[in-house]
Amino acid sequence: MMRNVGGVIVLSLLLVFVQLAAGESFSPPGTPKNIICRSPEKETFTCWWEPGSDGGLPTTYALYYRKENSDTVYECPDYKTAGKNSCFFNKNDTSIWVTYNITVVATNALGRAFSDPVEIDVVYIVMPNPPEEVTVTVIEDTNWPFLRVSWEPPEKADTRSGWITLIYELRIKLENEDEWEVHPAGQQKVFNIFSLRPDSTYHVQVRCKPDHGFWSEWSGTTFVKVPDYFPRERSMWILIAVFAAFIILTFTFIWLSYMKIHNLKHYVLPPVPGPKIKGFDKKALKNGKFEDIFSSLVVSDFPPTTSNYEDFIVENLEVFVPEEQELIMEDSKDLQDDSIKSENSTCDNDSGRGSCDSHTLLIDKGGGDKEEALQSDQEGSQDERVPTSPEEVMEEDLLACCDEKNSPDISEKVKFTPSLISPLPRYNLMNQPNPPEIGKKHCLSDSLLNPDSLPSYFTQPPSTKNDFRSNPWECNFNHKQHPLHPQTTGKEHLQVQNEISWVHVDRTEASLGVQAPSVRSTEYVEVQRVSGGNMVLLHPVSAGQENSGTMSHQTEHYSRVKTVNNDSGLLLLQKESTGEEMGICLSEEEVESRATSNGYTASITPTSEKPMVGINSTLPILDDRMASGYVDTATMFGLPTY
Amino acid sequence: QPGRLAPISPLFVALVCLAFCSRLSRMKAASICTNSQTGCHFLSLANLFDRVIHHSARMHGISNDLHSEFELYFLPSKNRVSRNCHTSTILTPNGKENAQRIAREELTEVILKLLLAWRDPLWHFHQNMARHHKFNNLSSNKSLEMSEMVHELRKGVQKVAEKMQMLGIISNSLGTLGSREALLASDSPEWRLMNDYNLLYCFRRDSNKIQNYLKILKCRIVPEHGC
Repeated sequence: MMRNVGGVIVLSLLLVFVQLAAGESFSPPGTPKNIICRSPEKETFTCWWEPGSDGGLPTTYALYYRKENSDTVYECPDYKTAGKNSCFFNKNDTSIWVTYNITVVATNALGRAFSDPVEIDVVYIVMPNPPEEVTVTVIEDTNWPFLRVSWEPPEKADTRSGWITLIYELRIKLENEDEWEVHPAGQQKVFNIFSLRPDSTYHVQVRCKPDHGFWSEWSGTTFVKVPDYFPRERSMWILIAVFAAFIILTFTFIWLSYMKIHNLKHYVLPPVPGPKIKGFDKKALKNGKFEDIFSSLVVSDFPPTTSNYEDFIVENLEVFVPEEQELIMEDSKDLQDDSIKSENSTCDNDSGRGSCDSHTLLIDKGGGDKEEALQSDQEGSQDERVPTSPEEVMEEDLLACCDEKNSPDISEKVKFTPSLISPLPRYNLMNQPNPPEIGKKHCLSDSLLNPDSLPSYFTQPPSTKNDFRSNPWECNFNHKQHPLHPQTTGKEHLQVQNEISWVHVDRTEASLGVQAPSVRSTEYVEVQRVSGGNMVLLHPVSAGQENSGTMSHQTEHYSRVKTVNNDSGLLLLQKESTGEEMGICLSEEEVESRATSNGYTASITPTSEKPMVGINSTLPILDDRMASGYVDTATMFGLPTY
Repeated sequence: QPGRLAPISPLFVALVCLAFCSRLSRMKAASICTNSQTGCHFLSLANLFDRVIHHSARMHGISNDLHSEFELYFLPSKNRVSRNCHTSTILTPNGKENAQRIAREELTEVILKLLLAWRDPLWHFHQNMARHHKFNNLSSNKSLEMSEMVHELRKGVQKVAEKMQMLGIISNSLGTLGSREALLASDSPEWRLMNDYNLLYCFRRDSNKIQNYLKILKCRIVPEHGC
């Protein structure tokens, strides 16, 4: 006996030592925590706890409770029914409306641990089971089927006797979605769900809660398939038809109005064709590189040699009645080597439409050497550039032409009323690469009307590189004779550009305008005709020149334009003497007095700031027109003749 | 002249009284009959039960709110005084079987006793709260509402009991028994010793009991409506 006891003691000591030797340490158990009690039907309840550390030793747990106002401690009657670490109170042990004071004790060889006491009243810990017999049916009585969900309270919860009152909640979602749609259902056991998507599967779940308690778990998912349905409502089709008709009508209306506007636009604001000057770079113009543009127009070697006559192609510039968008330019490639045809008639078969009867622009096509006066400037720019002409040529001309200082600042332009047709209005506006050139006044008459001189606007064919001042129409018309005879047999019509306030002559005659600037002679302008509109047809009158061919009537007094009043008149000087070089040059003072908006002028001479005299006009419109080389005859003032 | 008015005045007073009294009675009758379909006629027992149950649910809700608020602001010590509610002398069934086994008259009596036992304590509680500004306005309103509800619910349950007695569902032995015990309970000074927190705790539980007993009673007597 003693030996047995001793043996046991030795064994236990050995055990302890072995465990100690193994490195483990023993300790009393940790306190159990998180005691949770729940009742499914308000008649029984269960408590669960979390065991703490066991301290390395086998630990036992015990639950003790006290009822309200009693000091008697009872131990849990049932540790098994509800699983591990639990205590189940059956009906006999459960009292409602009584406070329970519950404690869990952990015990191991080394000690005990008491949990914190928990006070519960069964009434407030009711968490029922989920509802049962959840059924979902599809009701298809009407065109739009709906779901009817029905369920039963959990079996254990006694709602029949009124002991528990449950309220329900259901949720539904489509098979592919993640989000549930929750519907509270109150105390009812039936619920209808509408607005279903046809031909799809739904998931439905239900749960319940007593009026003072916890929500149950969600019931098992019930699947329901909604059949494919299509509501056949006549009213819907009618509605669709009405909407479609409305939309179609709207679009038709919009389209019609758009078309009309487009056509109206053509009637009211005829588009202006662009300049068609060979060698003129429209794009460069936009960029503001005036020097390059004008340089391209300058004839390099001027006067050209006879052998190069072919190179100069004169194009006719014609202005059409507003329908025409562009000038019809004709490239008369037939070069007449030495012959200068003087046309007797102003009309030419080659002329385009409206050349004969257009009151705005009449260009005589001269035979002989023709230059390309203009190039059709459809949309693109003239890429050809003409190398800058020798500037000194222009300078001389300027000096000769006008008395005024050839200062770059002087860039008066003769103010004339609008509607000069010129494909090259821009040229005037463009900055001269050389200030002095720009400074040249736009002297009328002289160079302009020199049949021998090439109109400045004549552009050079790309092939030839003649010096061609970009402002050929400026008064510096070259009156130098060059082999290319001027053939101003026809009338030359002064084209006064309104906005630009300079006058340039558009000459279709050949006589390479190349050297027009260099030619220095004074020409007189004869008022040929004052059109009813605003056009003054002037034709040059040169002493000793036979322009008789095309002169129709020379009964008028020959005069030259002296000044241009502000939009009011063109002051014509009497022809004082032939051979005198005189130009109509606006003095600087005069010019300045008529300084107009700078915006436009600024664009004209970007490089030099000269007060530009321009006639007030709507710049944007003119720009457009000028850009395309087509200028409408706007109002022209009457010409007082002196 | 006073001479002429003298004979008129008593007549006038009588007329006024008549009008007023009839109006009162009409009003009284109308208040009962407001929920009926047409006119003012017999109010069903089920309807009466629904009303009182609804009333008791509301009362319990208010008591629950006040208790939670009290617990939040006036944290009671862990060492709670034994909650010896003054109504513990009233024997109440504390389980479903007990509640179902008890007789209808007894159950009705228990309800009435409880309601009567709380009439005075709640009134004093409200006075205490209002005087010492222990609650904010909202809570003070709730305590007043609570004390009024106890009073009205008792009257409602009395009406239900009368109706049941009229219908022969319960016997007429109710009246005397209930009132005696209730008086005893209310006269006991125990409730004056309770502190506010215990009072609220006790009343919350008792209002739950009342609501539950009424539901059980209803489902025993008129089970066809929502049981």
